[in-house]
Amino acid sequence: MLVVDALTKTVPGGRRVLDGVSFSVGAGEFVGILGSSGAGKSLTLRAISGLTELDSGEVRFACEDGTMCCVTRARGKALRAARRQMGVIFQGLHLVKRMTVIENVMMGRLGFIHPLRSWLYGFTDAEAREALEALDQVSMKPLAGRITGSLSGGEMQRVAIARAIFQRPRLYLADEPIAALDPRNAEAILNLLQPLSRHNPVVSTFHQPELTRRFCTRVVGIREGRVVYDGSPELSRSELAGIYGIQEAQAV
Amino acid sequence: MVPYSARRQLVGRAIGLGLWLSLFLAAAALCDLSPEILRQGLGKAPHFAREFLPPLWATAEEMVEPLLSTLALASAASLLGMLLAFPVGLAAAANIVPTWLRLLVRILLGAERALPEILQLLFFVVALGLGPFSGMCALAFSSIGMLGKLVGDAIEEADDKVLESLKATGASFWQVIRYGLLPQVLPSLAANALFRFDVNVRSSVVLGAIGAGGIGAEIARSMGMLQYNRATMAVLGSLILIYAAETVSGQLRRRLLEHGR
Repeated sequence: MLVVDALTKTVPGGRRVLDGVSFSVGAGEFVGILGSSGAGKSLTLRAISGLTELDSGEVRFACEDGTMCCVTRARGKALRAARRQMGVIFQGLHLVKRMTVIENVMMGRLGFIHPLRSWLYGFTDAEAREALEALDQVSMKPLAGRITGSLSGGEMQRVAIARAIFQRPRLYLADEPIAALDPRNAEAILNLLQPLSRHNPVVSTFHQPELTRRFCTRVVGIREGRVVYDGSPELSRSELAGIYGIQEAQAV
Repeated sequence: MVPYSARRQLVGRAIGLGLWLSLFLAAAALCDLSPEILRQGLGKAPHFAREFLPPLWATAEEMVEPLLSTLALASAASLLGMLLAFPVGLAAAANIVPTWLRLLVRILLGAERALPEILQLLFFVVALGLGPFSGMCALAFSSIGMLGKLVGDAIEEADDKVLESLKATGASFWQVIRYGLLPQVLPSLAANALFRFDVNVRSSVVLGAIGAGGIGAEIARSMGMLQYNRATMAVLGSLILIYAAETVSGQLRRRLLEHGR
């Protein structure tokens, strides 16, 4: 489904922020990526959706026609075609705050509509009905007509997920979807993501090992740009200590 | 040590006043300022007041058409300037275009703003002839100079995360601009265009006097034909127009900015 193969990236100044990151994701998986801040988790996600330039390595992904295509080398139309198939769930703050909730959801399918149409009238009524269904899945249907900037952080995060659902991708990528949320909202968001992964795999970065243990099917641990753990979400104390680079006694 | 000295205060203020006075006198001498001319001019004031007052109320109806022409000129220039300022602003934004293009556009915009509107009108009059159309072009051009820069600044301050999240859905460059960028900058662009409309109404009166038609031409013509009461009526008309434009523009802008938050 998704193969991440030996990604490396060096930033100006010589620091290796990605140092041979490799893992693969298959059907039905909910992969949680753990690691300290700056370990390269978000960067790995950005690399998968082709939002960052790499020194070397490849991201291969099952495309629309079923063949594996290389996202890393794709440009222009080919890259956009690959991105259409990946629903990226950014933190809710990435929504267009001056537009309504339902408009923000429909933007998930911008990649599928003709540019001329997007300038003339945008989306169709049928698409609006579908967007409403997506909002219903995240219990946000009643707020569909609200201006997005007036929502709370938890509500915006739900809208961001609805946008990804509406996009109908074959893979979900989520970048710290619960970072800015209280425990109750965080739990609710995970309860939304988990069922999605049964149909299309979800790859998401997290900071909470106790939550990945409960919700994910697999954990990938990244430390200083390298994959240091790839396996069961039931991590031992020493494995956790390895990911976060701390003494075993301090690991939760 | 007390960080204060009355003597230094006195000396400082004396130097300041002396500097102001010498600069003013030097400049005034270059302008041939003479108290004698001033006294003569002021002596004629009552005579002038009799010439100009009262306004020739009977011509009020004749002022409507030139006033509307001036209003139309300012509106067309503002709307055209607003439309064109967006693409120009894109080309002036560091997060959209390469540095060399941004620099080039910013230099051109700066040069455009440095050029007085009246000079621009003279160029357009040479190219297009006398009339409101030349005036509209001159004002639209200078509107772009101001609005283009402001839009460019607004685009550079826009939230890049929003643009990136749309890029990640597979949206094309122009779709990202339309759905991610335009909603972020449109309220401020519209507010600035309304402000510019206010400025354009004033300018179009001035430009009218030197060849762009409308109420400005009416004032100039009346003065030229020594119909001073008629000129007063035209001035009164343009005062009403300018005041109305300022009020409407200010009200709309306030509502726009309140809504945009």
